[in-house]
Amino acid sequence: MVEPVSPLGAAWKPGAYPNTAGETGLVLSETRPGSIVQAAAWPGREKTLIDAIKSVTGLALADGAGAGQVDGAKAAFGFAPGKFLAIDQKEGLAAALGAVIDVDTGTVTDLSHGRTALRLAGPKADWVLAKFFALDFSQTTFPLGAGRATSHHDIFAQIQRSGAEQFDLYVFRSFARAFWTALCHASEETGYTVG
Amino acid sequence: MSPRRSTEGGRIDRGRTIRFSFDGKSYHGHPGDTLASALMANGMRLFGRSFKYHRPRGLLAAGVDEPNALVTVLKGTVREPNIAATQIEIHEGLTVESQNRFPSLDVDAGAVNQLAGGLLSAGFYYKTFMGPVVGPLRGTRFWMACEHFIRRAAGLGRAGRDADPDRYERMNAFCDVLVTGAGPAGLMAAKVAAEAGKRVILADLEPVPGGSAKWSGDTIDGLPAAAWAQRTIEALGAMDTVRLLPRTTVWGYYDGNTLAALERVTDHKPAPDKGEPRHRHWTIRAGAVVLATGAFERPLVFPGNDRPGVMLADAAVRLLREYGVVAGSRVALFANNDDAYRAAAALAEAGATIATIVDMRDTVSSAARALAERAGAEILAGHAVSGTKGGKALREIAVQRLREGEITGQPRRIAVDCLLMSGGWSPAIHLASQAGTAPRWDEALQAFLPPAPTQNWIGAGAFAGHFATAAALADGLAAGAKVAGGKPPRKSALPRVETLELDIAPAPVFAIRPSGKAGKAFVDFQHDVTAEDVRQAHREGFVSVEHLKRYTTLGMATDQGKTSNVPGLAIMAEARGITVPEVGTTRFRPPFTPVSLGALAAERYGELRPDRLTPMHDWHVESGATMYAAGLWYRPMVYGGRGETVEQAYVREAAATRAGVGIVDVSTLGKIMVQGPDAADFLDRVYTNKFSTLPVMKARYGLMLREDGLAYDDGTTWRLSQTDFLMTTTTANAGKVMQQLEYYLDIVWPDLKVALTSVSDEWAGAAIAGPHSRDVLAACVAGTAVDNDTLPFMGIVRGEIDGVPVMICRLSFSGERAYEVYCGAGHGLHVWEALMEAGKPFAIVPYGLEALGTLRIEKGHVTGAEIDGRTTGRDLYLDWMLSKKKPFAGSMMMDREGLCDDDRIRLVGIVALDDRPLGGGAHIVEHNDPAEIRDSIGHVTAGCYSPALGKYIALALVKGGKTRHGTRAFVSDPLRKRFGPVEIVSHHFYDPEGSRMHG
Repeated sequence: MVEPVSPLGAAWKPGAYPNTAGETGLVLSETRPGSIVQAAAWPGREKTLIDAIKSVTGLALADGAGAGQVDGAKAAFGFAPGKFLAIDQKEGLAAALGAVIDVDTGTVTDLSHGRTALRLAGPKADWVLAKFFALDFSQTTFPLGAGRATSHHDIFAQIQRSGAEQFDLYVFRSFARAFWTALCHASEETGYTVG
Repeated sequence: MSPRRSTEGGRIDRGRTIRFSFDGKSYHGHPGDTLASALMANGMRLFGRSFKYHRPRGLLAAGVDEPNALVTVLKGTVREPNIAATQIEIHEGLTVESQNRFPSLDVDAGAVNQLAGGLLSAGFYYKTFMGPVVGPLRGTRFWMACEHFIRRAAGLGRAGRDADPDRYERMNAFCDVLVTGAGPAGLMAAKVAAEAGKRVILADLEPVPGGSAKWSGDTIDGLPAAAWAQRTIEALGAMDTVRLLPRTTVWGYYDGNTLAALERVTDHKPAPDKGEPRHRHWTIRAGAVVLATGAFERPLVFPGNDRPGVMLADAAVRLLREYGVVAGSRVALFANNDDAYRAAAALAEAGATIATIVDMRDTVSSAARALAERAGAEILAGHAVSGTKGGKALREIAVQRLREGEITGQPRRIAVDCLLMSGGWSPAIHLASQAGTAPRWDEALQAFLPPAPTQNWIGAGAFAGHFATAAALADGLAAGAKVAGGKPPRKSALPRVETLELDIAPAPVFAIRPSGKAGKAFVDFQHDVTAEDVRQAHREGFVSVEHLKRYTTLGMATDQGKTSNVPGLAIMAEARGITVPEVGTTRFRPPFTPVSLGALAAERYGELRPDRLTPMHDWHVESGATMYAAGLWYRPMVYGGRGETVEQAYVREAAATRAGVGIVDVSTLGKIMVQGPDAADFLDRVYTNKFSTLPVMKARYGLMLREDGLAYDDGTTWRLSQTDFLMTTTTANAGKVMQQLEYYLDIVWPDLKVALTSVSDEWAGAAIAGPHSRDVLAACVAGTAVDNDTLPFMGIVRGEIDGVPVMICRLSFSGERAYEVYCGAGHGLHVWEALMEAGKPFAIVPYGLEALGTLRIEKGHVTGAEIDGRTTGRDLYLDWMLSKKKPFAGSMMMDREGLCDDDRIRLVGIVALDDRPLGGGAHIVEHNDPAEIRDSIGHVTAGCYSPALGKYIALALVKGGKTRHGTRAFVSDPLRKRFGPVEIVSHHFYDPEGSRMHG
């Protein structure tokens, strides 16, 4: 299979970029999952859709926007009422979900190429993200696995907390390079590593 | 004598020296100094020149309320004007200049304005800029010639022209409790809330929190108040749930408990650390807010109250206790309240001689008398300062008896170099005023207190009119407990305070009306508004507080009436014979203090401007494309770089496409997945034509109208399965169409089971056009045939190109046989390169937007230039798409009389008869007179040189449309100095039968 090309292009510059104090308190990376899939349930069919997602991914989601789960290579979260984003490092998730979600339950939309997955990890991840998004990134209001849909300027983003100090961001591919550049810029203060 | 540095005291580090420059001269100070304190310590009195009269001005205040000492900070060639010297922390290399003076601060030519005081009074601009009403210049625009000089003569600092190289940043924050102001009340509230487990943000505009604790001289829990504040701050700083924001001014209070704040991150440093912004703009969403913003001391209004050396009493105490600066050697105090007596005692302890205490009140409390005794000062009760003398520094004051608000008797002249004044205190209610209703007048305090909250905030301390330290702490304790949702606190939780019991309530006298001709008495120091200006406004009928403000500029602009509000209102009240609350007050507006534009515009320019790139962007750039910003997208305009002009390049690209094959990146087209059992029904409702009859794996051109019947957008929609449609929109309208469709589903037809998803970025798209387009596909597509039977016009097939799954739809924007090849965006470059490789034997050329536009103009296809929000489907001769068998969005309104008028402008083609270009926007006229700019019958929407026709052609919207075919007219484009003959023809310039794209 042909390897998809990253949209980050020349903006992807692996290495350490310490701040004035020599610290690199943040790791920025592109996770490049094989599958990014949106599943949406018709009103009243949310539970059926959640069950279908569980049957394919093993991830048990709570009903409602914001709830989510992370389990190794797979992750999923609700980002709006009845709407979920499911991610798998492997390809084929759209087809697998499509096979178990019928037209009376909801829809499955493959966004594997359309969204770019970026990861911020480190103690300053929430600080840097707060420069972009009007979201409360504290553990209490944004717990592990939870997801949110938001935007920075014109850049729509879906964000999931994938670790105590780690967030995965899904941004529109065409904006990815611009957003990545802004992310690196915003991280200069804390110091960061790309890789 | 001049101000001087004391040998001890203050929070400055006397062990270290910092050098800085003011007006080109080098000075030194110490870490902890502000520019104001350091200059004062260097003996400076003169800090600036006033707004209108260029009067010499010294320091009035010691904090953010300073109206006189406004300076310009220089960084290289970048200038930042109008910064209060009291808010600038000195650092090595700081370079500052004074402003509104020429040639120098000491010798200012503008001071001549003082001689024209009468002319420059309130309403000067309104009267003057009406121009001469008598004499030879009457009716001329003479005043406009004068305006430049008048404006230069009056004003504040001068902004620079160079770009600001500093970095700015925006930040979002959420908290349970935001405490604004870290004085005793704010610290106490933050402590209680934080100890209750709340997430607290504590913001204070000063570099060192503590508020009045830093200079009150009180004792809290056995510690000097400043030490208690420091200990409390350290304890708060050690808590994970507390964020301390020093140097942060909360400047705006908006709906939903959203507050705006500006953090000055690196202004106090010689250079920022890597990645550090100069300013950080905070948007804080708080569950609850504790407003503990303190209060501003008010000046008294008397002739000569602006002379350098006359300052607020509290400012002198701050200078002494925070910075170890003694404001004068021989000092007088002029007050209407007890609290000011602290200043006399403090300065006396620092070695100053207190020459006299002039008190407006006839009786003075014993506590105040005790302070006067400590200061060794006589009290002149029932007296007032009626004048001052001195040039650029105070030399002498005149004191007279005050009876029922009137000056009487002979003046007694007292030599002093510093006069402290105090007219009581005005709570800093600006944020509450922004967030709520009208403030309340307190008769005892002679001050406006905050209004009742309309949002979730609670006031504490001096902000609420509780000025004493113990009262402030009690307020803070109660406020902290309330916002934490806990029980009312026990009194034992309060720290013990040792302080002087002083009556804070002032006498209700703010202005001394001179008995005869006297100097100016200033109310608003920043805008040079005098007591006489306020009275003049009254005489001229501007008696409403709103009119008073605008007519005199009282309390306007950056000052926002911090020191001038109440005295100004009191003078108007006296003039009108009513009370201050009857006069009322204006509502304070944000920002509380000036906010840098950089902070508001942070991170959205230059390389940080959000832009959109297609998967093939780098290929285009490497192939010499000139990129064109189309909204946020970057698209190839032409692939030049061979010494070609843009016209030569697009003509070559378009001609090669018609002759052979060309390829263009169409990834930017809007793409929306429309899915669900009701998807076909939904499309029938939003498009003018029918989509429910569209077979699977077929595409159809669709037109959308707005609900008012005007054309909205067009594009093709592909049916990929019975319930899945891929809708394409124009690049420009993708977001708007998505929004409109979501609106229909959410509001108009919520019963439809339809899901919409933007997949614009999921698919990379390449359009291949030209007689050899099928040959190119045949050479590289696997898994499907691409012949006419398998892939007819508007057909769709799935296949692979070089191992990548693709979807190919046969449709044409160019009028040639053409195909759009879609693949996953991550494979876009791979497929594009494979198509280019397959096209080599056919001399395939990439083409850009200009050639794309040329091909579509030749073909007569419309786009955003024609679907411009004013045209209907009929105007564009798309009547055939307006279904009569079903209703659709806009169908009810599209037949309105005005939209069916025969005289509407309708789509035509235009051919230049003088072989010159036709520019978009040029008018079409019937007369042959270039000088006559009138009688337009329409306009050009898009023009080009047509390689197929060998002429300059254009599409246009012209009255009567096709009824004018074959007629002559003229293009009139006076902006581009273009006039010439044209022929009006059909908009189908090229292959009107469509034979080239079919078959």
